Amino acid sequence: MEDEIRLLLVDDERLVRRSMEKTLFRAGFDVTVAASAGAGLMAFNAARGEAEPFDLAILDLHMPNLAGVNDKNAGLELLSRLLATQADLPVIVLTAFDEVTRAKESIVRGARAYFVKGREAQLIDLINDILEL
Amino acid sequence: MNDKDMALATRRATLLHAAAKVARNVTSILNPERLLDETVDVICEEFGFYYAGVFLLDKSRRWMVLHAGYGVAGRKMLAQEHKLRVNGHSMIGRASGEQHALIALDVGEEPVHFKNPILPKTRSEMALPLIVGTELIGALTVQSTREAAFSTEDIMVLQGMADQLAIAIQNAELHREHQQLLAQAERQAHLLKAASKVGKEVTVILSIDTLLREVSDVICEEYGFYYAGVFLLDQAGEWAVLRAGHGAAGAQMLANHHQLKVGGLSMIGSSISQRKGRIALDVGEEPVHFKNPLLPYTRSEMALPLLVSGRPIGALTVQSREESAFSKEDITSLQTMADQLAVAIENARLLQELKAAHKELVRTKTFEALATSTIEAIHWIGNKALPITSTIKRLHEDVQALASPDEEMLASMLEDLDIIAENAGLILAVKEHLIGPAREQLPQPVIVADVFKDVITAAAVPAAQISCQGGADLPLVIADSSRLSRAFDYLLKNALEATAELEQIKIQVEIEPAEEEQLIIRVKDNGPGFSQENLDQVWAAFYSTKPGHAGLGLSATLQIIRQLDGKVTAFNAEAGGAVVEVRIPYTTEKPPAAELPTAKKILILDDEDLWSNFAQAKLVEAGNEVARTGELPAQLAEFDLILLDDCLVNGDVTQLLKALRKSGVTDKVVVLASSLSTERATALMGYAVYDVRLKPYTEAGLAELML
Repeated sequence: MEDEIRLLLVDDERLVRRSMEKTLFRAGFDVTVAASAGAGLMAFNAARGEAEPFDLAILDLHMPNLAGVNDKNAGLELLSRLLATQADLPVIVLTAFDEVTRAKESIVRGARAYFVKGREAQLIDLINDILEL
Repeated sequence: MNDKDMALATRRATLLHAAAKVARNVTSILNPERLLDETVDVICEEFGFYYAGVFLLDKSRRWMVLHAGYGVAGRKMLAQEHKLRVNGHSMIGRASGEQHALIALDVGEEPVHFKNPILPKTRSEMALPLIVGTELIGALTVQSTREAAFSTEDIMVLQGMADQLAIAIQNAELHREHQQLLAQAERQAHLLKAASKVGKEVTVILSIDTLLREVSDVICEEYGFYYAGVFLLDQAGEWAVLRAGHGAAGAQMLANHHQLKVGGLSMIGSSISQRKGRIALDVGEEPVHFKNPLLPYTRSEMALPLLVSGRPIGALTVQSREESAFSKEDITSLQTMADQLAVAIENARLLQELKAAHKELVRTKTFEALATSTIEAIHWIGNKALPITSTIKRLHEDVQALASPDEEMLASMLEDLDIIAENAGLILAVKEHLIGPAREQLPQPVIVADVFKDVITAAAVPAAQISCQGGADLPLVIADSSRLSRAFDYLLKNALEATAELEQIKIQVEIEPAEEEQLIIRVKDNGPGFSQENLDQVWAAFYSTKPGHAGLGLSATLQIIRQLDGKVTAFNAEAGGAVVEVRIPYTTEKPPAAELPTAKKILILDDEDLWSNFAQAKLVEAGNEVARTGELPAQLAEFDLILLDDCLVNGDVTQLLKALRKSGVTDKVVVLASSLSTERATALMGYAVYDVRLKPYTEAGLAELML
């Protein structure tokens, strides 16, 4: 459906990714998932190539980076790459609850919000706020 | 041969016999007193004289003192300690002074004769100096009831006898000295053996009590003293406490917990306070001696302090039944032994401390290893539990949406889901508690009281229920203030929960410097205090007496404080209530000076608290114009920088941020907090402020903030 909001969800934790996908899907979003920074970038470029760019991206921080190596800053790297191509793309960064420095770094790099995993119900509200739905 | 010749020959024979007897005595009797007694007896009995006496020169060399005298008269004079001045008027005095024999054939006519009432029948007297080489050592007096009693032969024989006697006296004296030296050497060898035994024991006995017992026994057994005991100072250094005592008296005093006041009247007390040995050769005359009824026969006592690098750690008491019992050698060897003992006690004490430190280290390392593996496990479990809550929420919705559900089954399924949800929530909470302290750290110099006051403000504890003592003048601690806040928050929650049911809640937070460059943070409450079981387990993870608690707060506090090389202890106050005491090392280094920007217009949106006082003073000192207020002033645009404290007693940070955003000045705003979480930091960043930072507590930190 053309009206559907398209979300890109990148997380290497299979069950976390699947659970979030289901929550977002139920909330009415069109969700594309990827399990690494590399796969996420590919999905992002593919969507743009099909003229169906994502409306918002949700990125985990600690996952395989663009070179496929496990990296705690892989999400920040991907964030910069996505915004370099699509500067107005709203991005929410996901990770553990008390990584203040990296949370601030993600905001400085242009992320709209930083979200602590495990509180998915609030994630829907946050997406709605950002997209002003 | 006529009768006269016959008498002369007989007398010569008697003289020779007497001389030979004296000569025999001289060579065979080594006891000088006996030699002199025998000599005067032979002179009187063999020569037939009325009286003979031997005087010896005293140490001052001014008096001739009678050492042997014949018969009753001799004994009387000895009892009177009869002596005559050298060079005095007596014949002995003159003969000694002039060092040659004097003869008074009729003493009534002799001007220098001292008329002696004890020897009233003396009519003639001979005084012969006793000389060895050129040295005068004494004099011999021989007296007769006859006038002109001494013939030339008598004089010659008696002078010869006197010369022999002089040599014999000197030989006997030398023999006595040799005997004395030998006895001294034997005693010294004995003492050395005892000292070496103690020396050997101090190196092998590492238990203090065994060592002290052995030493007091060795001193009594090897030296032959009546009693020996060892006292050690108590922790406050006010009392010397008996730790070992010889024999039954020692056992009784140990059972009585015998102790003596340092600096008090006892010899032990005064020897410790004066840091020097005390000897009472007759304890009856010693004013500071403490008469001990358990040691009634003590006549002399020695108290030797046990010193380590000049610092007293106790004292050794040695007591004897004899007066003046302690020789110079005793004192020297016992002091050496006391010095060895002090070092050994100190070594044993250090070893005990080392063992305790090692035990503590093993415990800490074990704890750390367990904590690390627990954290890893919880992290893993927590991550796996992440989707559970969302999954349950969806199931909840699905179950409720089922067409024609069986109501009973539906209720049961929903209940099961609630159980799973609650447990998944607990797992996530555990993950956050335990992983928190292990994450990234941002150590910096911190005003601890400011951090604690922010925790109190954030917890919204009414001012009437809590007091926090400790100001900005306290030394700084190097710590991650977010972690410190978390630890203080747990301590505060613990006190609040302990007092929750009280009508009048009273929580006291005291922050003060302590010994060993540590800062003490003490949280006291007026609750029921810890039970003994609580005290034993309060720091263990997953231990809680409160329903619905994971039991991780105090465990996480312990972990945070240990990461700062600190200690946490929990105990009950004497007046009631629980006390948790945190000790963390403070920095003794003066914070480095830094160049702050000058001539800026700065707004501090804050209460008047420790941090804002510090920041305002530093910024003004650097030449900036600084305004501090809790409310937004009208002309916000004129400020170059706006510092906003995230923890306000009087004020709403969210409202202030909204107003700042409305005024279009958020790019000049730096939000400062003593504790930051990811959510708080990103939420604050969401107001498009310039930065969100931990509060700087040094000039250098402020300068970095201003860049």
